[in-house]
Amino acid sequence: MNWINSFRKRRAVYEDLSEEIRDHLEEKTRELIESGVSPKEAAAQAKREFGNVALTEERGREIWRWSTLEDFLSDLRYGARGLRKNPGFTFVAVLTLALGIGANSAIFSLVNAVLLHSLPFSEPDRLVSLSEHNWYPQGGFAAMRTSLQTMDLAAYLDGQEFNLTGQGDAERLYGTQVSANFFSLLGVQPEQGRIFRRGEDEPGNDFKVILSHPLWQTKFGAASNVIGQRIMLGGVSREVVGVMPSGFHFGSSKTQVWMPFNLDPRAVDTYWGGSWVPVIGRLREGVSIARAQAEVEVFQHRLLRMFPWKQPETTWRAASVIPLQQQMIGDMRSKLLLLLGAIALVLLIACANVANLILARAATRQREMAVRATLGAGRWRICRQLLTESTLLGAAGAAIGLVFAYFGVSWLKSMLRADDIPRLAEASLDVRVLVFTAAIGILTGLLFGLAPALQLSKVDLTESLKTGSKNAVATSHRLRSGLAVIQIAMAVVLVTAAGLMVKSLWQLVHVDPGFRSESVLSARVSPNQAFCDNFERCQSFYNTLIDRVRALSGVRDAALVNALPLNGRVAFIASRFEGHPEQVGDQPEPILFDSVITPDYLSVMQIPLLEGRGFVESDTARDAEPVALITASTARKYWPGVDPIGKHVGPIWEKQWRRVVGVVADVHEDSLSSTLPSWITGAIYEPFSAHAVLINRRPALEMNVVVRGTNDPTSFAGTLRQVVAELNPEVPVTETETLGGVVSKSMSAPRSVMWLFTIFAGLAVVLGAVGVYGVISYSVAQRTSEIGVRMALGAGRRDILALIFGQGARIAILGVCVGLAGALALTKLMTTLLYGVAATDPATFVTVALLLTLIALGACYLPARRAMRMNPLVALRYE
Amino acid sequence: MKTNKPRELFPGALEMMILRTLRLQPQHGYALCQTIKRASDDLLQIEEGSLYPALQRLLKDGLVSAQWGVSATNRRIRIYKLMPKGAKHLEREVSSFERMLEGVTRVLSPVRS
Repeated sequence: MNWINSFRKRRAVYEDLSEEIRDHLEEKTRELIESGVSPKEAAAQAKREFGNVALTEERGREIWRWSTLEDFLSDLRYGARGLRKNPGFTFVAVLTLALGIGANSAIFSLVNAVLLHSLPFSEPDRLVSLSEHNWYPQGGFAAMRTSLQTMDLAAYLDGQEFNLTGQGDAERLYGTQVSANFFSLLGVQPEQGRIFRRGEDEPGNDFKVILSHPLWQTKFGAASNVIGQRIMLGGVSREVVGVMPSGFHFGSSKTQVWMPFNLDPRAVDTYWGGSWVPVIGRLREGVSIARAQAEVEVFQHRLLRMFPWKQPETTWRAASVIPLQQQMIGDMRSKLLLLLGAIALVLLIACANVANLILARAATRQREMAVRATLGAGRWRICRQLLTESTLLGAAGAAIGLVFAYFGVSWLKSMLRADDIPRLAEASLDVRVLVFTAAIGILTGLLFGLAPALQLSKVDLTESLKTGSKNAVATSHRLRSGLAVIQIAMAVVLVTAAGLMVKSLWQLVHVDPGFRSESVLSARVSPNQAFCDNFERCQSFYNTLIDRVRALSGVRDAALVNALPLNGRVAFIASRFEGHPEQVGDQPEPILFDSVITPDYLSVMQIPLLEGRGFVESDTARDAEPVALITASTARKYWPGVDPIGKHVGPIWEKQWRRVVGVVADVHEDSLSSTLPSWITGAIYEPFSAHAVLINRRPALEMNVVVRGTNDPTSFAGTLRQVVAELNPEVPVTETETLGGVVSKSMSAPRSVMWLFTIFAGLAVVLGAVGVYGVISYSVAQRTSEIGVRMALGAGRRDILALIFGQGARIAILGVCVGLAGALALTKLMTTLLYGVAATDPATFVTVALLLTLIALGACYLPARRAMRMNPLVALRYE
Repeated sequence: MKTNKPRELFPGALEMMILRTLRLQPQHGYALCQTIKRASDDLLQIEEGSLYPALQRLLKDGLVSAQWGVSATNRRIRIYKLMPKGAKHLEREVSSFERMLEGVTRVLSPVRS
């Protein structure tokens, strides 16, 4: 209770001080009277010689108190009272700030979840990825795992799909294959059961599975006796050993089951040549990333000699070991920071608006400030009072902004796809976001309060006590116009960014994907591996399916393909071309996108055949000569200037060539902005036959049925499922979608970024226009009597209009010019987000410039009309 | 409002003079003020009010103490008294001030050859 005591003591000290000063004055007055001065004059002289009584008392008190805090509290009370008395001003200012701050907090919560949260694993700082550039064969991983001294290694492979059968309807599950030590390396615990044990990724021990929490809930009713149960996955019986908790998503947010690898050194082909895998590591105690990287670099060279065949020296790029978190974030970092930067601009515009409001209000407060100054408040003291007020506004804005942020985050989560942004689900208003919000609330308060505070505290006492000086109004007007210029400039930057995104998306939408998506439905049909071990059985299942679908009414044609364009699946082979040396020096062999199709695929998709012939039914027979189609760009690349028809191409692991029988137009397999993934060098088509073997040395067996209908293709969806169920109830049908939907989904990431930018730009334009409106209409009010004089002297309405618009135009043009310069410098940052449009696209820049000039002038319209309609007589009498 | 700010000659000067005056005898504020004015032959422009914040500072630092008492004319007055700590402080301040003054004087005085 020490502070209460000191408070009481202080009060006594203050009283003593006041009394003493009173006594002093009395004594002095009395002495003066005794020396013959008149009582009235004596009192005045005593006061004069004493100096400012109130100020002296204040200074005396200041010495005793922890003055900053108490001043602050009293400023706070005073400020709150002022704001309550001005509800209109307070409402607009707080709402503007709340919008700006809320939007910032929402975007920051994304940044926080993706970039700032450390991974939810134990000692995440020691987790690294070896696979920024290089993946390794399973055998290579196994060798590294036992040999490296600097870290422990685990591997995983996403995108494995398995049929779950015997648990109600057949279901397709998304799985991740992992090395046995994967979970223990991450340091995560299961919710039920156990994680994999050492050795469970070896042949014979690998028939185990761990379930994700959601799968356990939906498919197994969250029953605890699921542990130890055997389930059928991909036609193979596996024992459920554990369930992971709901927050665990690795390697993909989609993973429903984790299964061990089957690391079998005797299966040489898959061990060294099958799917290569990304490798992660946990640094051992005290090991630096640089040391680990050096060891991997050395080991990569040793690894090349371990291959059962000669592996080119250029197989891997230089070893790189990076923090696992960095690997997971990938290129999101720059995108998110760009978004954060953009939304920060919006907040700055909002700040400028509020600063303008305060300046406008300041004109009416000059007298108040003058009175305070007379009473002995220094400039700094007044400044501090004003800054306290604006900080109060900022804090209120932050508090309400949090509510906006709450809705903003859930909206962002629903709009963005978890596939596009890693760890999106973790975004929430946690402590860090709260602190961030509070901090920007206070910072913005100081920011937008500073200019008005400096302006307003610079009071010329005698002048403002009399009338409120014209001089102060003039500088205030310059300041306000300057703020409006800045607002327009920042709005130009944001609108330009949004314009570029819109144009880029427009370009994407108008990319010819190489096929016609109208009226086409696609669905993934995936029999079990075991079912297709007998390829003839598999093939006849598909052929019957296609025949039945074709017979449906409304169906024009139907076909099969193993990897539908634009849906994220990649099917490929390592290949060789006739006429090319088996291996040119250390050139890695060509990797070709390998579409395995039934003959009608080209016509269903309407992919143009440029030369030669397409496939025919007889090409799919087991004893038929293996043939292939090649895309135009691949032909140009590998056989430039030569007719590719009759040439040969084939997988590197087979002596058997495929004869090229036709050339087809290129198709966007990967995305609308690039035809193929960067690591794939070309594309071929093979007929759906036992010959068409992919990189895993197996024929394609999971296929997409593509159906071209006469009208709305979604109407077949149900029937298609029925047809498959009749043929084989254990075969799930998934990903039933129109081709248009597939194309559209492939644009989801650029589309959502475009929407965000457009919303930001919209906010910026509205706030900017309000800013210009505020400045102009305030100036019209200030110039009322001037306008009256002009009108009285014969100025027409048109002259008045020109006067007001001229003022607006100066702000607009200056703002647009500054903004364009800023945009030119800043849009460079978004180059990677743009497709088919330069970051300095002249058309966009010109359009934005015109648009914003118009908007700014539009904002002058109302005040200009008000000025024009003024009655000169009334205007002259104004003030 | 033009405020000619004659607060003190330099920071601490007024405090020094107060301490010096109180060393002679305890006094109350008004008397203290008159003594200093007289002693300086009115050479120093001291705003009377500025005395009180200075006294508060000295009180707070424990260099002087204050007590309500009764004056010769039977008025309630607050009498300030120099504390031992204040005496020591004064000594230090005066000697450092004299050194400074000597330095300044040497620089300002005409060059002797």
